[in-house]
Amino acid sequence: MLERIHLTLEWISRRAVWIGGAALLIAAIMVTLDVLSRKFLNVTMSGADEISGYVFAAGTTWAYSYCLLHRANIRIDALYNFMPRWLCAVLDTVAVVLLLIYNGMLAYRGYGAFAESWAKDSVSITTLATPQWIPQLLWASGLIFFELVLVFVFLYTMVGLLRGDLDLVKRIAGVPSVAEEIEAETHGMNLQTQTGARED
Amino acid sequence: MVVGILVALMLLVVAAVPVAAILGILSFGLDSMYFGGRLTPAIGEFVWDKSKEFILVAVPMFILLGEIMLRAGIAARMYNAVAQWLVWLPGGLMHANIGSCAIFAASSGSSVATAATVGTVAYPQIERRAYNERLFLGSLAAGGTLGILIPPSINLILYGLLTDSSVPELYLAGIIPGVILSTLFMAAIVVACLWRREWGGARIETNWRDRIRTLPDLVPPIMLFVVVVGSIYAGLATPTEAASVGVCFALILSASTGTLKLSMLREAFEGTMRTTAMIMLIILAAVFLNFVLGFIGVTQAMINFMAELGLTPLEFMILLVIFYLILGMFMETLSMMLTTVPVIFPIVVQMGFDPVWFGVMITVLMETALITPPIGVNLYVVHGIRARGGKFNDVAYGSLPFVVSMLVMVALLIAYEDLALYLPTLVYR
Repeated sequence: MLERIHLTLEWISRRAVWIGGAALLIAAIMVTLDVLSRKFLNVTMSGADEISGYVFAAGTTWAYSYCLLHRANIRIDALYNFMPRWLCAVLDTVAVVLLLIYNGMLAYRGYGAFAESWAKDSVSITTLATPQWIPQLLWASGLIFFELVLVFVFLYTMVGLLRGDLDLVKRIAGVPSVAEEIEAETHGMNLQTQTGARED
Repeated sequence: MVVGILVALMLLVVAAVPVAAILGILSFGLDSMYFGGRLTPAIGEFVWDKSKEFILVAVPMFILLGEIMLRAGIAARMYNAVAQWLVWLPGGLMHANIGSCAIFAASSGSSVATAATVGTVAYPQIERRAYNERLFLGSLAAGGTLGILIPPSINLILYGLLTDSSVPELYLAGIIPGVILSTLFMAAIVVACLWRREWGGARIETNWRDRIRTLPDLVPPIMLFVVVVGSIYAGLATPTEAASVGVCFALILSASTGTLKLSMLREAFEGTMRTTAMIMLIILAAVFLNFVLGFIGVTQAMINFMAELGLTPLEFMILLVIFYLILGMFMETLSMMLTTVPVIFPIVVQMGFDPVWFGVMITVLMETALITPPIGVNLYVVHGIRARGGKFNDVAYGSLPFVVSMLVMVALLIAYEDLALYLPTLVYR
């Protein structure tokens, strides 16, 4: 059951990342066309920069969950690697809790920013005059989804801890080994990577 | 009070808590202590305003650019072409390692990707040509670090954001030190191989025909560099626009090599968004902490404290270099910069150092951090590509000569500020 939810959340976050990436690519093309038309046609198409800002803001918050589920959050692991496995598992859980607290505040206030723009009908002070609630909704919903994923990952690691299943905790919330990190940075390039530097 | 905060901070760092959570919760804590929690409610609006800023869009764009270039399948041919031009030097292909990394760095912002890509292509040559394995691996780890100094550099954008410095100026400032540092790396190889001739591996014969014949393989990465960096200086584009143009160029390039596929794009998107999220989560927390610290006046207190110590600027800078060298042994580089710069930067400026110059300085120090054990990301990466395995210490020892090169670079930067400031002054000031 929990494993099913874990996989579903990963499935959703992966799609969100594809959409975010594609939107970013489209933004890049729009901005390029803007630059070219400004240079060669002396025509300024305004708005590409503003839209790419929104794409970036919303795409990023929706990618947080993917980052978490792939354990890519930056943690200082100088001592972590020398600690006993049970302590690592406890620290992994603490890490999730603290991130949950921080993002909880961010998501709550982020939603507040959206609600205020919605209530006041705020628009951007640009030629596009974008109603701010539209990009803010996409942005804040990413934060809220991240918070939900954090709550789930917290519960799942707690289950792992209580069952004494340290492998489970490591798999869902641990610091990845070097081999895993290199794989993540270069995947799809068919690099042959073998052993990592740290014990795994 | 301050001691308490620092102790708590150290505990969190030791406990491997995500850096973003540390910074975020620290800013909430400081806010509730000093202002009764009046600043924290503003975090929603604050983070929203920062996250849609156009200059920051350059970060994911440069990452996407690097991800596409990585998969465009140009690394092996580029390495071969660089090798044709550099193998005559004592140390042979090790110079190609540095050269390829420098060129690859001009299209990629990730030092990990740079070291991994060039490393995988180069690794089989150690056995084939009987190189000294340690030095060869060290040249790969060190070469990879050029990614963050030679523009386009993601780290310099983040530095610019944190300190309100101009990114184009920072990019210009990185070019000459980047070239000098590459040369210093090569000099280290030459010295080592003149001292121990057998380290330099078997000679590789080449001729002018092959050199000319492989030259076209260097065109794509160099053209990309010219398009991206050139358009910034020609005043045609802002860094974000230049990065976007670069993404389109990389797309066309990848189409021309037949690597442009939906599956490739999906992988590039996953890599881009993963890295972007990882960086932004920390950046936004760091910027908010910076905002809270500004209200508290921590900066002023630090400046007063430094003034009481009565250090000369030179003494101060030497202390700072030592501080970063030690910190860099244990800390991941990006979080190292993001956590220290907000506090240290105002003092640096107060002491009369140029903000752009310090950006280059701290980048070189971060490069050092990438290859100093026990925590040096590039050491791990290069160790990770060793198909035949071996001791981790091999890579760490092999990188030592290059750490020396970096220290020489640091000394040169302190002695001759103009190495960094000449180009920005020429163009902008």
